[in-house]
Amino acid sequence: MRTVRASGALLALLIAAPAAAQDVAIRNATVLTIANGTLENATVLVRDGKIAAVGTDVSIPAGVQVIDGTGRYVMPGIIDAHSHMAIEGGINEGSESVTPEVMVPVRDDDQTIYRALAGGVTSALLLHGSANTIGGQGAVIKMRWGQPADSLYFDGAHRIVKFALGENVTRASSSAPDSLRRFPKSRMGVEQTLRWWFAQAQEYDREWEDYRQRARRDRNALPPRRDLRLEALADIMRGDIKVHAHSYRGDEILMLMRVAEDFGFRINTFQHVLEGYKVAEEMAKHGAMASTFAENWGYKVEAQDAIPHNMAIMTDRGVVVSVNSDSGERVRRLYQEAAIGMKYGGMSEVEALSMITLNPARQLGVDHLVGTVEVGKQADLAIFSAHPFAPETHVEMTLVDGKVLFDRSQAMTLRKLIESQRAITTTTEDDR
Amino acid sequence: MRAAMLTLAVLAAATPRLSAQASPGQEGTFLIRGATIWTGTGQTLQNANVVVRDGLIEAVGPDATAPGAVEIDARGKFVYPGLIDSYTPLGLSEIGGISTMNLRSELGEFNPHMRAVVAINVDSDMMAITRANGITSVITAPSGGVISGQAALIGTAGWTWEDMAVERTAAFVINYPREPSFGFGFGGGANPAAQRAARERVETQIRELKTVLTTARAYDRQRTAGAEEVDLMYEALRPLMQGRVPALVSADTEQQIRAVVELGREYGIRVIINGGDEAWKVRELLAQNDVPVVLGSIQSNPPADAPYDAIFAQPGVLHEAGVKFAFSTGGSANARHVPYHAALAVGYGLPKDAALRALTIWPAEMFGAADRIGTIEPGKLANLFIATGDPLDIRSQVTEVFIKGRRVPMDDRHTRLYQKYNGRPAGN
Repeated sequence: MRTVRASGALLALLIAAPAAAQDVAIRNATVLTIANGTLENATVLVRDGKIAAVGTDVSIPAGVQVIDGTGRYVMPGIIDAHSHMAIEGGINEGSESVTPEVMVPVRDDDQTIYRALAGGVTSALLLHGSANTIGGQGAVIKMRWGQPADSLYFDGAHRIVKFALGENVTRASSSAPDSLRRFPKSRMGVEQTLRWWFAQAQEYDREWEDYRQRARRDRNALPPRRDLRLEALADIMRGDIKVHAHSYRGDEILMLMRVAEDFGFRINTFQHVLEGYKVAEEMAKHGAMASTFAENWGYKVEAQDAIPHNMAIMTDRGVVVSVNSDSGERVRRLYQEAAIGMKYGGMSEVEALSMITLNPARQLGVDHLVGTVEVGKQADLAIFSAHPFAPETHVEMTLVDGKVLFDRSQAMTLRKLIESQRAITTTTEDDR
Repeated sequence: MRAAMLTLAVLAAATPRLSAQASPGQEGTFLIRGATIWTGTGQTLQNANVVVRDGLIEAVGPDATAPGAVEIDARGKFVYPGLIDSYTPLGLSEIGGISTMNLRSELGEFNPHMRAVVAINVDSDMMAITRANGITSVITAPSGGVISGQAALIGTAGWTWEDMAVERTAAFVINYPREPSFGFGFGGGANPAAQRAARERVETQIRELKTVLTTARAYDRQRTAGAEEVDLMYEALRPLMQGRVPALVSADTEQQIRAVVELGREYGIRVIINGGDEAWKVRELLAQNDVPVVLGSIQSNPPADAPYDAIFAQPGVLHEAGVKFAFSTGGSANARHVPYHAALAVGYGLPKDAALRALTIWPAEMFGAADRIGTIEPGKLANLFIATGDPLDIRSQVTEVFIKGRRVPMDDRHTRLYQKYNGRPAGN
């Protein structure tokens, strides 16, 4: 596996040109800006990987590559706020229930990256699994397919840690004999696990603060022993690391917000949050955002009350909602998932589109860089053959930092494969 | 948005049929007026009516009328034959994570006598949620072993499973033996001995399947000739051996599909491919042999070596090659969204009209029920729905559903929770 990975990265270096930004203009398209409505017959001009102009009266400078957008729809590149793609091997550090010091290892050779691009996706939050009350730190990446792993990280994004509540955490060691089972095994235990560890972290933080005070007076003062776990927890309490919490039931969502408030921090985003609609008021007040499934429900007990109207109710109550994939399959058609928001609970088109663009950008801390088609933002764009919510739609092109990294006209498709096989068969028959 | 929702909720609350929450629907004679009707027979009627009486479609057309009928104004709306999910455990399986709610498979490898129809939970939450989006019939199937049992074609509303059944035995579910995938490389994979053992097990299962079919053929002949001794398992297989009921045989790779077509030829049984990831590779063979395909969920990744759009684009390719197919979700929770599986195929080249047929009349034909369901024609069961637009478009709303002529209540677990929490007063 190691060898495969190394050669994959090497191959990528050989094939792909360095990530030089390009100048490109998409002309005569319908542009779903998210920020400023829908523009017909508009041009999006990209220079140096950033959006330089958007509008109906944009002149295209000479030498700029032109993409014909006639009949097509341009929208911000889709952002997936919950993914397990491009992560090496196991995604749970399951030895203990609190491990915020570990980080997901990003790999560049997972073809899910390419398939995501082919579905208009340009960024994703890669997260650990949900076995731990406090898991590890995730990574925000851009779909820079063909670049080595180090180049995938999205500069400027939040540092993010994954928490988890409910069934997955409490059953994490359920196959072990009782004597070897891991605490916690109930939702009650999850709360106390959180409180115990954050109390430790507070204590740790105080010891360091004391040391810093003493060190000012006493050059020979000894620092406390460094503890990477408590340090990460202290960073969480300071808000330097943002919390994304895997959650299902209303009670546990409420519990976590109250624990965080007691320790002086906020939950940035609840993940899954299938019963968020039951505590949407409280979430809005706390300032928590939500990243949910559009339609998934009923696969376990804590998903029994999941309803597709969740997105609409939370949005209505002032929660910033995104819809995520959590899947290497769903990531290819997040535009369908967003459309479900319009079907159940009557979200507007822009509210629904925001759930896969601006809102996840806010949750990942990159809304100043991407998430809308606006001048000055990075040119992460998806070009659809029809409205992204229409049944006859597909992705024609996806740009990351102004570079066309997916182009259906150049990609190997089923029909092209069949054509090429026909050509081979015909040639063979001619030869006879 | 909130105000609009409240208005809707108030309107819904004022509708009398909501009072009959658990009922499979209001009985009566109905006149649906002024709709655009996609009949499924090659016609789209403008400004036309449908008369529903005694569970059946009585008349369709611009002049169809029924004095005294309950009138439903469908001007500006669209009427379609009820949609079909052609492979799901709906009614057999509820919450995936709880084993007692998933009694879909029996012990043993050969269970052709197990009947899904007798184990349908008519009050399944998932059933009500499914029909609310216009899915009026499903093929509900047992699983496990080599011959899992008999899949049933059922309506998605009814008082009992007898009331719901359209075809009690719609197909025999066969899992064509396949090697488990071992994965490969570092950490994954199995040792050569384990792989060899798995391969041998598959070969044994294929031999056993053929022995069962050979015995079933002999048994059927003897019974036809007057033999009286009855064996439950072989008795169950007689409709298959006589070609009256098809076998729905899972096969995804080219090799498996070829083997299944051959199995059909060898034993004179009608086969339907279930899954068919690589059906496009053998489309001529399928077309020539008139073997249809129940496509596995379009919401699936293609095999690693296939083009990225292989699963999305395959229905269009099969259609052009003359292969009949139907769509399926394979699940219970989101059987309601089977039209959006079809929509993905439309996005990658399948004509819309073919997509709708693959959700209606084609599966009705495959499972021997085209005389009763699948189109809007006089004399057929009144399984149909009214929508605000194209049912392949996620943004369309289904406003009315009729199953066996009953006007189905449109509330379910989801709408009830929605109404409760959408109505939570601010600050409470």
